[in-house]
Amino acid sequence: MDVFEPGPGAQIHDFNPSTFPPVGLFWTTEIPIAGVDRQVGKGRASLQASDVAILDYGTTPQAIFGGGPTPVPGTVSFKVVWSGVGEKVNIRNTDPVYGGFAGEFVRNSAQMEWSATVGDYTFVSEPLITSSSAFAEIGHERNGSFFPPA
Amino acid sequence: MNFRPLPGWKPTSLTSLANPTDNDIAARRLPVPMSRRRFARTVAGGAFAAAVGSRLWTRNVVEAGSFAPIPIPGGSPALGGAFHVFGPAAFDPIDAEPVTITNLNADVGLAYISGMVTRTNTKTGDVVSLPFVDSDMRFMQGVFRGADGRVHQGAFAFV
Repeated sequence: MDVFEPGPGAQIHDFNPSTFPPVGLFWTTEIPIAGVDRQVGKGRASLQASDVAILDYGTTPQAIFGGGPTPVPGTVSFKVVWSGVGEKVNIRNTDPVYGGFAGEFVRNSAQMEWSATVGDYTFVSEPLITSSSAFAEIGHERNGSFFPPA
Repeated sequence: MNFRPLPGWKPTSLTSLANPTDNDIAARRLPVPMSRRRFARTVAGGAFAAAVGSRLWTRNVVEAGSFAPIPIPGGSPALGGAFHVFGPAAFDPIDAEPVTITNLNADVGLAYISGMVTRTNTKTGDVVSLPFVDSDMRFMQGVFRGADGRVHQGAFAFV
């Protein structure tokens, strides 16, 4: 989650689950399998998790490059819902930089509600329906050893 | 990650963005300071990325644990190439790799979400409403070949 001052203003919170530097799995954490529910063909999916351990780095540059105050530990809980069926795309991307996977995706929209406790702060988002997405997609993909060369 | 589009920002790698919604319009009303998208674009090609990236991102570390998932190889050029992540439809092409785990066969989801959050200082009682902007949320649920070479089932969230 990325929280900014009213404004537009500066970024003041950057929550992610990785310790610094994020050289392994990037901002990714295991959750219970039941935390994901999806009907990809219908454009529906949900992601839920509770009390996920995170660090508040303050800003994205500090989360990536370091510097700034010592990150503050906390926890975050969230519910994300994908819905709608927009463009359907089948991708087989063999680009040496961006690719190495194949998948079938549905472009749609998503919304989220979340809460967090970090240091002296608690956060409670507005209800899910008030949020909006700039880009969203769900699908099924295969990469690495599950993506054999054509 | 925060890859929210900026007002007036024209993505160079995004060839199409399907089905804009009313939600998109609402999102554009939110204040948009230095988002992760802008940050990545600023960093891309910069000496800062090269210098810092070469210092920090030379390892391809596998998470601890014999069955741990393995990060995707490489990473977004916009972030120096050594972070194991891409930003599809943000600072990378729309069809760039959307997941962070390799040897994966899974259902996946990605979204850049904006809204408002109320922050309360539990010591002072100060309450303020703040925007969250382009929070990058992703899931991966399915099977993956772990560091032990075996196939495992799991679910993961990118926060």
